[in-house]
Amino acid sequence: MRHPNDGTLRRLLDEPAGVADADRAHVAGCPQCRAGLAAAQRDAAVATEALSGDLTAHVDAGWQRLSTAVATRERPRKAPARRWRIRSPLVAAIGVAALLAGASAAAAGDWLQIFRTERIAPVTAPEADLIKIPELDEFGELTPIEPIQIRQVTDAAAAAKATGLTVPRVTDLPKGVSGEPTYHVGARASALFTYSAERAEQTARAKGHTLPPPPPGLDGSQFRLTAGPGLAAMWGEGRPTPGLVVVRAVTPTAYSTGVPFGTARDYLLSLPILPANVAAQLKNFSAEGTTLPLFMSVEHMKSTATEVGGVPATLLTSRDRTMAAVLWLDGTVVTAVAGPLSGDEVLAVARGMGPR
Amino acid sequence: MLAGRKGGVVVSRPQAVRADLEQVFRSAYPRVVAVAARVLGSRSEAEDVAQEVFLTFGRSAVPAGEALGWLSVAAAHTALNHLRSGRRRAVREVAARDSVTSVPDVADAVVTLDERRRVRAALARLPRKQAVALVLRHSGLSYAEVAAALDLSPGSVGTTVRRAEIALREELNRHASSE
Repeated sequence: MRHPNDGTLRRLLDEPAGVADADRAHVAGCPQCRAGLAAAQRDAAVATEALSGDLTAHVDAGWQRLSTAVATRERPRKAPARRWRIRSPLVAAIGVAALLAGASAAAAGDWLQIFRTERIAPVTAPEADLIKIPELDEFGELTPIEPIQIRQVTDAAAAAKATGLTVPRVTDLPKGVSGEPTYHVGARASALFTYSAERAEQTARAKGHTLPPPPPGLDGSQFRLTAGPGLAAMWGEGRPTPGLVVVRAVTPTAYSTGVPFGTARDYLLSLPILPANVAAQLKNFSAEGTTLPLFMSVEHMKSTATEVGGVPATLLTSRDRTMAAVLWLDGTVVTAVAGPLSGDEVLAVARGMGPR
Repeated sequence: MLAGRKGGVVVSRPQAVRADLEQVFRSAYPRVVAVAARVLGSRSEAEDVAQEVFLTFGRSAVPAGEALGWLSVAAAHTALNHLRSGRRRAVREVAARDSVTSVPDVADAVVTLDERRRVRAALARLPRKQAVALVLRHSGLSYAEVAAALDLSPGSVGTTVRRAEIALREELNRHASSE
């Protein structure tokens, strides 16, 4: 008979019961396999030795430390669970220039469009680094113009009417998800951001850094950030986490009164307060201001390039396999399908959706 | 939709701490520390990793029945991430020491502190799946548990572990014979 493979020999050392009787009998009578088994045993012994060490743990001390950390980190629960929301994030990173929320082109007047979303790309970093990314208001004044307001509407038709977007129709629900979704809409949101060299300097000083002088014109520059309108369909609303969420929204755009995107971006990326690995990834984005970064922690999420209906898409899956999302852009509209599902399940929903 | 703190559109993760955290902590903490310590070779670093892992777990909705497997995998990944960030330093230390120490044979070498650094450097170089399979197997997880954790068939766990052990031995030998 054929010799059992290396993996079977290896398992024979740990779990002989997991190996087929025929394989066990073969190894017992085959000098070549017995030699392979002996080699596996030697290597396993080296590994056991190499991976040994002080493995004791102090449970009580550990628990005390954890409960303190939990208590310090715990933030009051945000009232009413807003399942999706738009943050003012990246902005901080690409700084000023970047993203979210904003005024329409019509309202822009003499505003110069400096950022429009044409592409979404993941930026991955350890969670500890993501937490270090400064918020936009650490660089200046952020004033909401059209605040983010999300409300429930009666049905898909009402959601379409409120947002002007086509509501995706989900035909095949994944296993475990059933019933009719609830619909939620958010009108366009926008905010005005005024860069303050003084505020930025304070932020930097608090973190033990000194900033290089800002480029001419940046101090006091205004940026208008817009995003939305958007809609969401949620299944399993009554549960702690919805079973499936489909979100569609108009992507973020940013306008400036003067400072070009590249100038603000280069300056912000040169600042010592951004984690180096995050800055390095942002530097690779096009200088035109068309890539929306998606910040992901390497500990929790991984991203894969895929497609939905022939359009490039990004699949995100959590490493603990408890959550997946796929999102894609069509013109200025981003659509996402997410839930406590597998990557294949969210892809199946996305690809089976009509009308896209 | 995103687990990261910052992002364009975010579906928030649950913020409340799960009620069974202390119970799970007390039963699983030694295992989680041991998994991380096998990777890091340092108990204090391993305890830091375990804290990180339990903080994440505390806000997760991982079913209690799957907690131990989930925590073990998370500990292995987090510890390996720590290694990667410290990898350059570790490799440099190994390179520096290689020129001054003499290691007669692999079996003796593994007990030395120096060897610990080599093991860390070797683990950091292994493909992630092999490294996790190796560490979990040597932490006492069954083939079925390792298979479930890594999305492998139980049959291929043996192959993955075997490859990792060969690579580890070769790395250690390479250093030992390059004196």
